Amino acid sequence: MEQQFTLTSEVRNDCLVITTSGYVNNVGGEKIAQEFTRHFEKGTKKVIVNLAQSKVVNSIGMSFLIDIIDQLNDAGGKMVFTNLDPAVDKMLTIMGLFQFAGKGKTVEDAVALLAIEK
Amino acid sequence: MKGAISLKVSLPKIPDIELVAIEGLERLAHHLGIADEKIGEARVLVTEAIINALEHSGEDNPLVKVEFTMTKQELIILIRDYGKGFEPSSVEDPDIRGKMGTKDKRGWGLKLMKTMSDDFRIESNDHGTRITIKKLLS
Repeated sequence: MEQQFTLTSEVRNDCLVITTSGYVNNVGGEKIAQEFTRHFEKGTKKVIVNLAQSKVVNSIGMSFLIDIIDQLNDAGGKMVFTNLDPAVDKMLTIMGLFQFAGKGKTVEDAVALLAIEK
Repeated sequence: MKGAISLKVSLPKIPDIELVAIEGLERLAHHLGIADEKIGEARVLVTEAIINALEHSGEDNPLVKVEFTMTKQELIILIRDYGKGFEPSSVEDPDIRGKMGTKDKRGWGLKLMKTMSDDFRIESNDHGTRITIKKLLS
């Protein structure tokens, strides 16, 4: 079971796409937040978090993502999650994240969703 | 329980130790022929219960005892810590709207365990906390 956290990022159509692999715990959440901040400071307000390779997440890791969503809301931006494991999807639903963030089946879906945002 | 298999493990507070329990959970499920997607929510429950116990036990060197009893139909998860305990009724359910605009974005563990489980019991006193979670697998 390989759970070492890593992430990659790219910018597609003005959207920052962060793709994670491994366990999203406090360390993983903080790394996502650092990557977000690096782009947010340059004006990026649309963020896609692709969790296809992260089947195990915890609520502490997700608390970092809530903080990102909070900053994006204040700035008129948006986050969209993609490729969610059903259990992670349910977890984020219970936490209420989809009241403030979107959900797409794939990164392409998320890019299309964010293209219609201001 | 008929046809049940069990696993007991004691976990010290070291980074990502909850993954040891997750690995055990997955091996039990594999042995019983339970599909990976059936234990997805159990993974969340186990992870949250362990990190909660290790973080809030109040001990310098906490030890958390974890026991799984699994059949093809259900999983019973026991999580025991030996910390200072707490009053479960004093813990309010977090709300995402209440978290926005504040620095405190944490505190979701109990809500997730209560909501995702099929039965959730918590007993806590000055000698520690015991959580019993039932999750149906079929």
